[in-house]
Amino acid sequence: MNKTININLGGFFFHIDETAYLKLKRYLESISKSLSDDPQGKNEIIADIEARISELLSEKITDARQVVNDQDIEDIIKIMGQPEDYADVDDTFAEKSYSYQSTSTSTKKLFRDGEDKFLGGVASGLAHYLDVDTIWVRLGLLALFIFGGFGFLLYIILWILLPEAKTTAEKLQMEGTPVNIDNIERKIREEFNNVSENLKDAANKASDKIKEGASEISEKMNRTFSGKATKNNGLQDLINTIATIIQSIFKIIGKIIGIFIIFISAAVILSLIIGGFSIGSLEWLQVDGNFVHYPPFFYDSVMPNWLLMTFGFLFIGIPFLMLFILGLRMLSSNVKKLNKAASLTLLGIWLISLLGFIFTGLDYATSHASYGEIVEKTPIPVVANDTLILKMKNDDSIFYRSNLRRSSHKEEVEINGKKITYSNYVKVDIKKSSTNENYVIVTKSSKEKNKTNAKENAKTIAYHYKLEDKTLVLDAFYISEIKNLWKDEVIEITVFLTEKSIIYLDNSTKNFLYDVENEGDIYDKDMANHHFIITESSLKCTDCESIETKNLEKSNTGNEVSF
Amino acid sequence: MKIENAKAQMRKGVLELCILAILKNGDAYTSEILSGLKSAEMIVVEGTIYPLLTRLKNAGLLTYRWEESTSGPPRKYYVLTENGGMFLKELDKTWINLVNAVNQIISKKPTNNE
Repeated sequence: MNKTININLGGFFFHIDETAYLKLKRYLESISKSLSDDPQGKNEIIADIEARISELLSEKITDARQVVNDQDIEDIIKIMGQPEDYADVDDTFAEKSYSYQSTSTSTKKLFRDGEDKFLGGVASGLAHYLDVDTIWVRLGLLALFIFGGFGFLLYIILWILLPEAKTTAEKLQMEGTPVNIDNIERKIREEFNNVSENLKDAANKASDKIKEGASEISEKMNRTFSGKATKNNGLQDLINTIATIIQSIFKIIGKIIGIFIIFISAAVILSLIIGGFSIGSLEWLQVDGNFVHYPPFFYDSVMPNWLLMTFGFLFIGIPFLMLFILGLRMLSSNVKKLNKAASLTLLGIWLISLLGFIFTGLDYATSHASYGEIVEKTPIPVVANDTLILKMKNDDSIFYRSNLRRSSHKEEVEINGKKITYSNYVKVDIKKSSTNENYVIVTKSSKEKNKTNAKENAKTIAYHYKLEDKTLVLDAFYISEIKNLWKDEVIEITVFLTEKSIIYLDNSTKNFLYDVENEGDIYDKDMANHHFIITESSLKCTDCESIETKNLEKSNTGNEVSF
Repeated sequence: MKIENAKAQMRKGVLELCILAILKNGDAYTSEILSGLKSAEMIVVEGTIYPLLTRLKNAGLLTYRWEESTSGPPRKYYVLTENGGMFLKELDKTWINLVNAVNQIISKKPTNNE
């Protein structure tokens, strides 16, 4: 059982099946689309075609009560021809410039040109689309290929996604209307006209149906049900129309968004490739590593760096690749969807790289779990009452520091072609010895998964100091394995001196002294360039008059100001 | 290259001539023009004709009038204009020349010079 519709086609009256009606409607619409853009001529042609169809139908339908069905419409289409057949191809011979406007059904579509191809016809297809000579597109792709392989990737993606222009209609579409402001404006106006026509149509229909429904209700109270049903239909139509309007607005917005998406994702993919390529080549050319700063978890990772880099590349790249394809699809409905296998593979690869990252991240976190330290004790052969001079020294051949100071910052340096960690994280303290000996305690500490390994790490830290005559020269730095770059390693030095010993703190120690207890609570920084004597409890400055007076002066001036 | 396409292209080139020629023998409405063309196998599907008629009309080569019909709504009768008549004469000449030229080429026997 089918619903039928009454139509007036070219002045004849027909009963027509709903499905057949929709088919006929679609057919006429697509013809209208394939015709020229001149609305006057278009309407006239459509009227002629409708008249002819009604003639053909009335030949078929002899009894007025007979209903036009699907098959009848099929037969009509067979006689009249496919929508493409209506396109006035003769125009392309006669007036070529005019033909672009009259024959192209819509704006251009991106196809591969199978007739002008080097590999897959992608370049020539793009050239048609962009309206430039093919050679420029080829050169551009080649340039992109040479600088980072992006051109190759782009080519392959487009080769897979773009269909080849096979039929005449597709070829015409491929060459189609050049994309310019005029045409875009025309296109938008067209869309708008379509929408407003649909709206008028639907509004009329809706009001008719509501009226119908209302009158039916008033006439036959017991048949309110059917009345409601038709009313619903009217509402449905209205909703459909609103949906159409919203759809076409979104279509236009969608295109704009599509362009943005393509632009952004292409930029990201491009920079990833260029970045990856240049980092790779830097490594390969063994350029100084200071150009490249890897994230912390790259050091001391179970996985090799190149694998992590690949993971990173895929982890960021795949979503943007999908975005890129989405953007292309938003711009042109012609771009094929990735098939299921391909998208599943990409998803799989992405998940693997995600897992790789999670694993590395966990590994990194646990590698900081335990703290371990190594303590070395060395006596200093200085006789009591002698003055011990304390100095800090950097090795500029390893890493030059113009301003030597304690800092937890680390540097990657190379010694004999081997990368190592260099740091100035050295803390110096001075205390009273509990025995009768003078000695130095060096504490090296590091982190690792467990205490034993942390201790092992600490052992590998290289730190030196030496006693030259009566001067204790401490290194202002330590070096450590590159894998421990991010392991919070620190060197703590405590000089233990017997009571009454005198120590002179050289200016170089200024920024390395760390919380040294002394009588008068002089700041660490102010302790340098002064002599200190070890007292019973802590240290006492012997020549710090200037500091105290300075401090006093400062507080005095402060008071004056506040009064 | 498909043979069907080549044939269609050939026919399309002379379609205008045929339409004008049919109208020269008297005014006709679309179905009559179509049946004339179809019986001569000049067209395969009817759709082709409509844009062409409109274009000829817009070019001032033909015009139309509405005529009441006994069996249904009024029909559109196409009429050849004066311009159309002249146009047809020109096309006619070209056609004869073309046929001669093509025949000459097709029927030419290979020369024995080589």
